Amino acid sequence: MKKNSNLSIVLNGIIKENPTLVLILGTCPTLATTTNVFGAFGMGIATLMVLICSNVLISLLRRVIPDNVRIPCYIVIIAGFVTVVQMLIHAYLPDLYEMLGVYLALIVVNCIILGRAEMFASKNPVGKSALDGLGMGIGFTFALCVIATIREVLGAASFAGIAIPFLENFKIEFFVKAPGGMVVYGLLIALIGALTNGKAPKKKEFSCAGCPSAGHCGNACTANGKENA
Amino acid sequence: MKKSVKSIVVLVSICAVVSVLLALTNAVTAPIITQNEEKSANAALLEVLPDGGSFEKADITAYTLPATVTDVYLSENGGHVVKLNTTGYSSGMVLMCGINPDGTVSGTKLIASQETPSIGGAAAETYAAAVIGVDVSTAEALDTISGATKTTAAYKNAVRDALNTVIILGGGSVDLRTEEEILADALNEALPAANGAFTKHFFVEVTEGVDAIYFADNGAGAVCVVDTVDGQFIALDDSYTVITACDDTVAVAVKTAVDTVRATTTTALDLTAYAGLPEHLVKAEKTASGNYVMEIKAAGYGITGGDEYHPASGEYIMIRVSVTPDGRVIDCLTLSEEETDGIGSACADETFYGQFDGKTEETYQNIDAISGATLTTDGYKKAILRAFACVKIFEGGNPS
Repeated sequence: MKKNSNLSIVLNGIIKENPTLVLILGTCPTLATTTNVFGAFGMGIATLMVLICSNVLISLLRRVIPDNVRIPCYIVIIAGFVTVVQMLIHAYLPDLYEMLGVYLALIVVNCIILGRAEMFASKNPVGKSALDGLGMGIGFTFALCVIATIREVLGAASFAGIAIPFLENFKIEFFVKAPGGMVVYGLLIALIGALTNGKAPKKKEFSCAGCPSAGHCGNACTANGKENA
Repeated sequence: MKKSVKSIVVLVSICAVVSVLLALTNAVTAPIITQNEEKSANAALLEVLPDGGSFEKADITAYTLPATVTDVYLSENGGHVVKLNTTGYSSGMVLMCGINPDGTVSGTKLIASQETPSIGGAAAETYAAAVIGVDVSTAEALDTISGATKTTAAYKNAVRDALNTVIILGGGSVDLRTEEEILADALNEALPAANGAFTKHFFVEVTEGVDAIYFADNGAGAVCVVDTVDGQFIALDDSYTVITACDDTVAVAVKTAVDTVRATTTTALDLTAYAGLPEHLVKAEKTASGNYVMEIKAAGYGITGGDEYHPASGEYIMIRVSVTPDGRVIDCLTLSEEETDGIGSACADETFYGQFDGKTEETYQNIDAISGATLTTDGYKKAILRAFACVKIFEGGNPS
């Protein structure tokens, strides 16, 4: 697969650099909104929308925004989109709004979004940035839905709010509580690590090579980065 | 310099553009959000008034409504939903009461409360089902639930307030006075010269045909309650002659009663002169006519339900009771009590201690116990029994 082809950018976010399971970003919404598949999916889609919009806009403005005020600019743009999404959800999906509560507004400080703005959108053209946002958003949504499915089915004997009659008497409440969320999350990370056979970036390497975004990083050290794809 | 100017301009522009974007989104979504919220508020109202359709908040500023009423909603079908904030066992009991156009309760819902979930909370649920279908004439007849008297009484009063509210809004008038206020108004009306300050007389003499005598604190006379059912109030002026127009027989009875009680003199009895008096007897007096007036300590809730004071307060219940020489209670009054507030404290209500009037040793057990406070009631009864025993000792004249 050719590096930086459009498809590889999308797939990169979903699998190899899955923001939740590989980059371990956005853990707060991951743990908080995965008690219910409906909520997890809504959270994922809301984040996806904000990611695409903010990536596109930041990419468009990447030559205009001065380096010294880039973080405030990103935050204003991200916060603006988050508020728009929040208002839209409040108006058209009040149930989801109730369920996500404060975590919806907290998308602003979701490090995935700021991370992609800083690492990708500010250095890449609009089209690629949009695809990166799409890929990362799908990856986030996918990871959330997987965790939520495990937690909800085992912990609440239901799927997206629909009760599973067979499991009704075998609820393991632990899974819908915070510790259960951490255990499921941790096991999934371990599983991904085992499946990719250590090909996923190693967190211990704090050099450029260890950086999950080394491949897209515009810094000079990229040339020395070990790339697997 | 140029660089910093550019930074400022870019950041401000981004902020401005984002603000415009937010303003536009808000303009689109705000009305929908308001509509949604109205719809969900409507859903809560529909729960207590299922046939209501849509609701509109009524303007209640022009009416004098019961103090518990906070909001009133008019429904499409002519019914009402009244929101009330009342005090059950603890304050902050908020409930909604739906009332059909025909004036019957369609449903109630407890929205917020601090009631004990297993006691008051459970009782409120039972009660919510019980009040469906009642109207003004039947609301009073609802029984409170034993063990949760305060919660259910508050619930019942709230429902009554809601029903009254609808009558008031419909142009009717309702007597919103409490029983105490009704009595005070009646006394004041009967004898305006007393300026509303009365002291209820504690009977130590047997009087016929008079239920209660209220003496004016300023000496302007007295008011006698002749028949509490019809609430006939007969006033007497400062020379204690009847001034309210009434039957001659009533006038004579009233005059006789007032003269009798005014002529009463008592002498204190030396308790040490009698053997076998219970230690609970604090004070005893004898009237010239031979009746006894005693102050007796009664056991309260008790530590083990025995003959003890209330464990939380360390206090007994103090009772004043007057008894005829042949052992019949003339009058009974709770002087002080430190029982559990809201439960045993009901022993200070006249509805409780007034039951002992006219009782003898054979009949004093035939009273209604205080709901949820059996031990307090039993302690009180024991004290009354002791009063009978004291009278026997006094009458036996057994000076040591």
